Amino acid sequence: MSAALLSVRDLSVAVNGAEGPRTLLDHVSLDLSPGEILGLVGESGSGKSLLCRTLLQLLPSRALSVTGGTAMMGGRDLLALDEAQMQQVRGAEIGMIFQNPSSHLDPVMRVGEQIAEGLRFHRRLDRAAAKAEAIALMGQVGFTDPPRQFGAYPHEFSGGMRQRAMIAVALACDPKILIADEPTTALDVTIQAQILRLLMELRESRGLSIILITHDLGVVAQTCDRVAVMRQGQVVEVGEKRALLAHPRHSYTRALIASHPSMPVDDEADEVDDVTDPADAADPARVVVLPSRPLVEIDDLDVRFPVAGGLFGRRRSFSAVAGVSLQIRPGETVGIVGESGSGKSTLARAMLGLTPVSDGHVAFDGLSLRGQPGAALARIRQQAAMVFQDPFNSLNPRLTIGQTLAEVLRVQGKVAPAAIPARVEELLRLVELDPALAGRRPRQLSGGQCQRAGIARALAVDPRLIVADECVAALDVTIQAQIVALFQRLVATMDLTLVFIAHDLAIVRHLCTRVVVMHHGRIVEEGLCAEVFERPREAYTAALIAAIPDIDPDRRLIAPPPALAV
Amino acid sequence: MRRYSFILTRPLQFVPVVFGVSLVTFVLVRMIPGDPARVLLGARATPTAIANIRAQYGLDEPIWLQYLYFLRNLAHGEMGMSIVYKIDVLRLIGTRIEPTFALVLCSVLLSILIAVPLAALAARNQGRPIDHAIRFVSTFGIGFPPFWLGLMLMMLLAVKFPLLPVSGYGDTLGEKLAHLALPSLTIALSLSTVLLRSLRAAMVDWLKSDVATAARARGMPESIVFWRHVLPNSIVPTINLLAVNIGWLIGGTVVIESIFALPGMGQLLVRAIFSRDYMVVQGVAMVFACATVLVNFLADIATVAADPRVKL
Repeated sequence: MSAALLSVRDLSVAVNGAEGPRTLLDHVSLDLSPGEILGLVGESGSGKSLLCRTLLQLLPSRALSVTGGTAMMGGRDLLALDEAQMQQVRGAEIGMIFQNPSSHLDPVMRVGEQIAEGLRFHRRLDRAAAKAEAIALMGQVGFTDPPRQFGAYPHEFSGGMRQRAMIAVALACDPKILIADEPTTALDVTIQAQILRLLMELRESRGLSIILITHDLGVVAQTCDRVAVMRQGQVVEVGEKRALLAHPRHSYTRALIASHPSMPVDDEADEVDDVTDPADAADPARVVVLPSRPLVEIDDLDVRFPVAGGLFGRRRSFSAVAGVSLQIRPGETVGIVGESGSGKSTLARAMLGLTPVSDGHVAFDGLSLRGQPGAALARIRQQAAMVFQDPFNSLNPRLTIGQTLAEVLRVQGKVAPAAIPARVEELLRLVELDPALAGRRPRQLSGGQCQRAGIARALAVDPRLIVADECVAALDVTIQAQIVALFQRLVATMDLTLVFIAHDLAIVRHLCTRVVVMHHGRIVEEGLCAEVFERPREAYTAALIAAIPDIDPDRRLIAPPPALAV
Repeated sequence: MRRYSFILTRPLQFVPVVFGVSLVTFVLVRMIPGDPARVLLGARATPTAIANIRAQYGLDEPIWLQYLYFLRNLAHGEMGMSIVYKIDVLRLIGTRIEPTFALVLCSVLLSILIAVPLAALAARNQGRPIDHAIRFVSTFGIGFPPFWLGLMLMMLLAVKFPLLPVSGYGDTLGEKLAHLALPSLTIALSLSTVLLRSLRAAMVDWLKSDVATAARARGMPESIVFWRHVLPNSIVPTINLLAVNIGWLIGGTVVIESIFALPGMGQLLVRAIFSRDYMVVQGVAMVFACATVLVNFLADIATVAADPRVKL
């Protein structure tokens, strides 16, 4: 390895809490070579973001302090610089991009001005020169019409374009190191592939070194040269990507690799595809014995939302779902996949009568939502339940988990009042939560525990149908794997129909027997999971599948052309 | 510029609002017990004289017909005759509108001048003594009622240390501003605390926001982070709060103008109520209502200008 550009030695950070100091980063040592992409993986709370903030002296709270170690860059210790010197490092030598470009871009400032800001401050360019430079930079990161887009505001762009803007902001002063903190986690797979490709191109063209923080080993496998695995504030394993993925030494690294939902490909599909997955093996049997009458019947469904037009304006509407027909039979597990904005959530909401239907028919258990809205809604509320994406915000913060579950049981009236506490305990055991947690409020639980509580609440209805809307998207990979396994067990042991909405195709491939691919409010392809994923008939499906970063470094990531990805 | 198209269409919505306000004030004023003719002529007036006066002012017609006359007059720019001042109410209000308008404008400007720097100082030193001091003092501003505060200021700055005139209004611009200083300060001390608290809270949030972190991460010094990113974002929620408070303030001028003997609409209103000059009460009420609607309209324009995401 050549001389390191950045060399971190024994870096420790502690928080001064009420019970004395607690170590958050514990003697972390890392090297970054010029032109290298270093992957930093680990779960939330493992300290990977904190490490990068510490390098820029941007600790998130005054209670945190560096308790030891050095971070040498160009002969200086970054941790010893004062504020004025640090301002010359931030942006000019180390640039940073973030997970959520929407919240990190100033909503009331033009995108171009935010890019130009660093140029004017660090390189003392005048307004016109900074603008010209910013426009050039916007072209480099993939804006199609930089002179016009310079004056646009962040909310006028899609998530992918916002992340490109964020990258342009970070690159404005030509830093040597780019820290990318989960840069693609909030993005669709196809957009993720484009952004990752852009980062690799920038590395080539500018000789940029990149520290890429991610929880997705697939992203690491596709983009990084070396990987550092972090856990509980420590670097547990560092190594060259291929060596580390092929021969992980630390047990935590092995667990991470095992929980990555990889996609089997064509040539291996006929072999035993997934030994870790007993429920998958049982699939064919379940597919064959389906009763004839569908539980949910959707016929030529249209859902439109008004978007403009006031008192005098011309009314316009946006078609979230257009001409969708779908039948779901009892006992099926159906995955609905597609990018954000493809209408999958709207379809799910229409299925449960949560959004007004503009045209077409939705029937639940033979009752039409249009024909007998009262009876159909009553039946849906008694026999169907939903699990939401955000486990915290979908639970009432003022109620304990036990109260939340008891409320559902009381309203449903299927369980005698005296039997409610016992049933609550039973539900918690069902989702593998310690019944002692019934007295806790959502904020006192972890994300995974909260989502289990959310599932328990859905099960409290004693439903025939559960609609899960992106219910694992906000969770760490290892937790994701646990929740998916929970769903598999529930579906296998109970008489349950599951509609599972996700943008993560690999998870759907794991869990579902049938898959529906949506794009622009329409179903572009549907069929048995195995068939659709192995032999996609539509170009769009194929592009979606190809964009998933595989954990095998040799299976190249294919970024779809922007026209397809929208 | 599509976002600003509501500036042309929104005033059309004012027509029914003003119409409704006029109907409500018209009917309610006539439901107040007491007869203007009797007040005008005194207790010993003959029934004939009262009947004459009632006929002269159209008070003997059915109420719906009176309202139609009122609307017809309004179309001609008249609001009916003041019984006390013997001139048209709209013209009367025209002579009184300037002190009130100047008072509200000065109060609001002064409040902003007090609130923004103090909020900035408190937010940037969150949790430090200066922050606690500013918040402590601002609690007093909310606690003290304006009529008491006005009297104290008058005693201190006009009587004990005669820096400013005690009361009244002037003729030249300089005199007018000198006379407006005390009442404006009285209002501003109350109003600025409300703004200060809202602004400080928003600034504290935005200082911790991802936007601020991102700006720091590209090497922006704290002053740029604050003035270019935190302040513009913090102002947005305060605009509507200010608009609501100006609406309240327009009604509040009644008290302040009485204390400082400012010849404005508030003072006019108080006298009109005592003399049962119903035409004036109704006219002032309508002007106050319209002013409130207008202020909220201006606040909408300001919100759209301050936040590019807002569509109206």
